[in-house]
Amino acid sequence: MSSPEFAPPPERRTDTYGRNAAYNQKKCFQVAQGFFLDAVRRARERNDRLKDLERRLESPEMLLRREQLWSHSGKLEARYLRFLRTKEQLSNYSVVKTIGKGYFGEVKLVRKIQDGRVYALKRLFKSEMISKEQLPRVRAERDALAESDSEWVTKLYTTFQDNTSLYMLMEFCPGGDLMTILIKFQIFSEDITRFYAAEIINAIEAVHNLGFIHRDIKPDNILLDRGGHIKLADFGLSKSFRKDHDSRYYQELLQRPASTSQMTRPGNRVSVNIDAIQLTVSNRSQINEWRRSRRLMAYSSVGTPDYIAPELFYDQGYSFEIDWWSLGTIIYECLVGWPPFASENPQDTYRKIVNWQHTLFFPDDIQLSHNAVHLIRCMITQPENRLGRNGAIEIKSHPFFAGVDFTTLRRIRAPFEPPLTSDIDTSCFPVEDLPQTEDPTPSPAGADEYEMFLPFIGYTYKRFQTSYT
Amino acid sequence: MMGSADEALNAYQLPKPLPIWLNPAYARHIVKGNFMTLSARPKTVEEGEWVAHQVVEHYRNLWNFVRVIYEKEEDGKTLCNSTTCPRMSAGANHSYTWLNSRFEPIELPAFEYITLMQRWISGKIDDTKMFPTEASGVSFSHNPQITTTALLNGPDEWVGKRSGFPQEFFGICQTIFLQMFRVYAHLYWAHYTEPFYHLNLEKQLNSCFSHFVLTATALDLLKPQELEPMQPLIDLWAANGTFPPESKAYEYANLKVGQRLLQLAGMA
Ligand SMILES: Nc1ncnc2c1ncn2[C@@H]1O[C@H](COP(=O)(O)OP(=O)(O)OP(=O)(O)O)[C@@H](O)[C@H]1O
Ligand SMILES: [Mg+2]
Ligand SMILES: [Zn+2]
Repeated sequence: MSSPEFAPPPERRTDTYGRNAAYNQKKCFQVAQGFFLDAVRRARERNDRLKDLERRLESPEMLLRREQLWSHSGKLEARYLRFLRTKEQLSNYSVVKTIGKGYFGEVKLVRKIQDGRVYALKRLFKSEMISKEQLPRVRAERDALAESDSEWVTKLYTTFQDNTSLYMLMEFCPGGDLMTILIKFQIFSEDITRFYAAEIINAIEAVHNLGFIHRDIKPDNILLDRGGHIKLADFGLSKSFRKDHDSRYYQELLQRPASTSQMTRPGNRVSVNIDAIQLTVSNRSQINEWRRSRRLMAYSSVGTPDYIAPELFYDQGYSFEIDWWSLGTIIYECLVGWPPFASENPQDTYRKIVNWQHTLFFPDDIQLSHNAVHLIRCMITQPENRLGRNGAIEIKSHPFFAGVDFTTLRRIRAPFEPPLTSDIDTSCFPVEDLPQTEDPTPSPAGADEYEMFLPFIGYTYKRFQTSYT
Repeated sequence: MMGSADEALNAYQLPKPLPIWLNPAYARHIVKGNFMTLSARPKTVEEGEWVAHQVVEHYRNLWNFVRVIYEKEEDGKTLCNSTTCPRMSAGANHSYTWLNSRFEPIELPAFEYITLMQRWISGKIDDTKMFPTEASGVSFSHNPQITTTALLNGPDEWVGKRSGFPQEFFGICQTIFLQMFRVYAHLYWAHYTEPFYHLNLEKQLNSCFSHFVLTATALDLLKPQELEPMQPLIDLWAANGTFPPESKAYEYANLKVGQRLLQLAGMA
C-alpha cells in the first residue's frame, strides 16, 4: 500500500507508551465502538417509530387526530433526547425502602425526584464484582434486559454508574417474588401451579427467543407485577452467544498490573459451597427450618443450587434446556412444598442433582395428578430427552396444560393480586428482614466524569419510553 | 485530465510526502454503511432539540480521543504538551488563537488551548438555561400539512425557540462545533501517528471525525470555508464513498482531488 507520494507508514509500536496510555487506548477503543453500536440501534428504533407514526397518520380514523399524533411523537422523541443528554446519578432519586438483596448488591424502591415516578433501582458494587469475576454477569444482565421489549421481563430504563457502583433502573414489580408467596402459602393447588408454570413458560420462551439462556430460573427471580402476573428478574447468570460475554474477554481487559492480586479465586455462583442448611426432607419440623433459612440462602453468595440442571455442573456444555429443568423443579416445589433435591446442605443437594435418576421421588402423602408427575419427570431428566429441547411448544402441549390458552394469560386474573394501597406499597416485600439503613453515599460524581472502570464502559444505557410524563 | 486535480491538491500546500492520514489505506472506518441516518433530524423533532443532542454526543466522542493525549502518564507528562505542540495548530498553515479577557487573540500551547476549550464548552452544555433538560419544556417540529396550530403561533424566530432554547443558542452551537473542529484538526495534524496510529485507534478516529463532519455540515453548524485544514481528507472521503452523494459534506468536497489521492495510492 505504500506509495512514494505518501509518508511511509511507520511500524506500529504500542509498547513505547506508558501504562496510562495503554489503559486509555482500550477505553477509547471501546467507547468509540460502543457509541456507534448504540447510535445505530437508536437510529433504527427511531426509524421504526417514525414508520409506525406515518402508518397511523394515514389511517382514516385518525384524520382528526393527526396533529395530536404528530406533536405527541415529536415531544416523546424530544424527551428521550433530553433524557440522553442529562447525567444520571444517584442523587436524582430518593430512596423509599430497600426491597431486596443479593450478594452483589441490593434493590431499592426509589422515586425520581424530577418527575415523581417510582422505580426499582438495583445497585451492584464494582469492587465485589471485580474480585469475584462477575463482570460478564453484569454485562449479560444489562444486555438481556436492554434488548428485551417483552412483557415477561422487567423493563430496564437506564443504567449508570459512579465510582463505587453500577445501577440498573428498572420497573418496580410491586407484587414481590414467587419465593415470598411460596413461603406464605407453602403449597399451591394444581390450578394455581398451572397458572404460574404457564406464565413462566412464556417468560422463558421470550428470553430464549432473544438468544439468551437465563441459567438462574428460581422462585426469587420470578417477580409479580401490579396484577400478580410474573416477570423475570436477575439475568446475572444469563448467557448469550456474544463475544463480550465471555469471561476470558474481561480477564484480558483486566490484565493491568495494578489490580491482579485476588483475581484467581473463581466466584462462580454455580459452584457449590458452605453454609450448611439443616434439612431432612422426611422431617416436617426441619422442612420448616429449611423454609425459614431459604430467604437467607437467597441472600448468600452462592445462592441455592436447588434449581440448577446437572449438566451445568459439568464442563461439557449445556444449552437452552437447562431453563426447562429449573422450571420442572419449581413446578415440583409448588405442588410438594419444597424443591425435589432439598437437602441439609448445598453439597448434598448437588450430589442429589447429579444423581437425579435415583434421588427424584414424590412423597406418598401428597396427592399429585398423573399428568403433573409425568410433566415433572419429563423435565427433570437428561437434556437429550428433556421436554422443551425442541421449543416451548412441546411443554405447552403436555396434557397437564390442556385447556390453557397461552396467548391470553396476561389478560386473565392472577391467583394472587397484590393488595396495594399506594404506588410505594411494599407490603409484598420482606422489608423488616432487610437492613434499612442508608448506605454510604458514593464518592461524589468525581472531578473526572470519565473516570470509570474500564470493563464497565458501555454499561450506560437509556431506553426510549413511551410514557414520559 | 488530472491537471486541475493536481493544481487543487497543490493549492492546499500540503507537506511532501503527504501525511499518512491522507493515504486512502489509512482513511478507513470501524463502521460501514450510511452514517447520514445518524445525523439526519427525525421529522417530528424540533431543530434546536436535535442540534443540542448532536452537540453533546459529538463532544463526548471528541473527548474520548482527547483524553488519550491529554491525561498524565505516570511520569506526569501528557502526550500533547508545550514541547510537542507549542501552538494550537493544524499543520504549518493553520494555527488558532484564543481570545483573552480583553478580547485579544493570544497564542497558546495546544494543551492549554484544549483546557480552555473544554472548560468553555462544558460550561455551556451544563448550563440548563442554554441546554434545557426539563422534560416538560419540549416541543415538536412544524409540518405544514399537519400542524396548523403551531403555525398560528407564527414562524420561529430562532432555532430552538419553541423548545425553550435561548436566542443565542444556535450561534453558541456553531462556535462549539468550530472549536471541536479545531481540536479534531489538531489531532490529525499533530497526533495522528503519535499516538493514534501506534495505538491502533486511527479507524476509530476516522469514523468519529467523519460522522462529525457529516453532522456539522448537514445541520449548518460549520461553513464550507471553516473546513479548510481538513479539506483534502474530506475530498478523499467523498471519493471513497464515506460521504454519500446526497450529503452536504460531499457537496463541499472537491471530488477530483479525492479521486487523485486514490489514484496516487494505486486504489482508483
Ligand atoms: N424490578 C423489581 N421490582 C421489585 N422487586 C425487585 C425487582 N428487582 C428485584 N427485586 C427484588 O429484589 C430481589 C433481588 O433482586 P435480583 O434477583 O434482581 O438480584 P439478586 O439475586 O439479589 O442479585 P444477584 O443475584 O445479581 O446478586 C428479588 O428477589 C426481588 O424480591
Ligand atoms: Mg435473584
Ligand atoms: Zn498536541
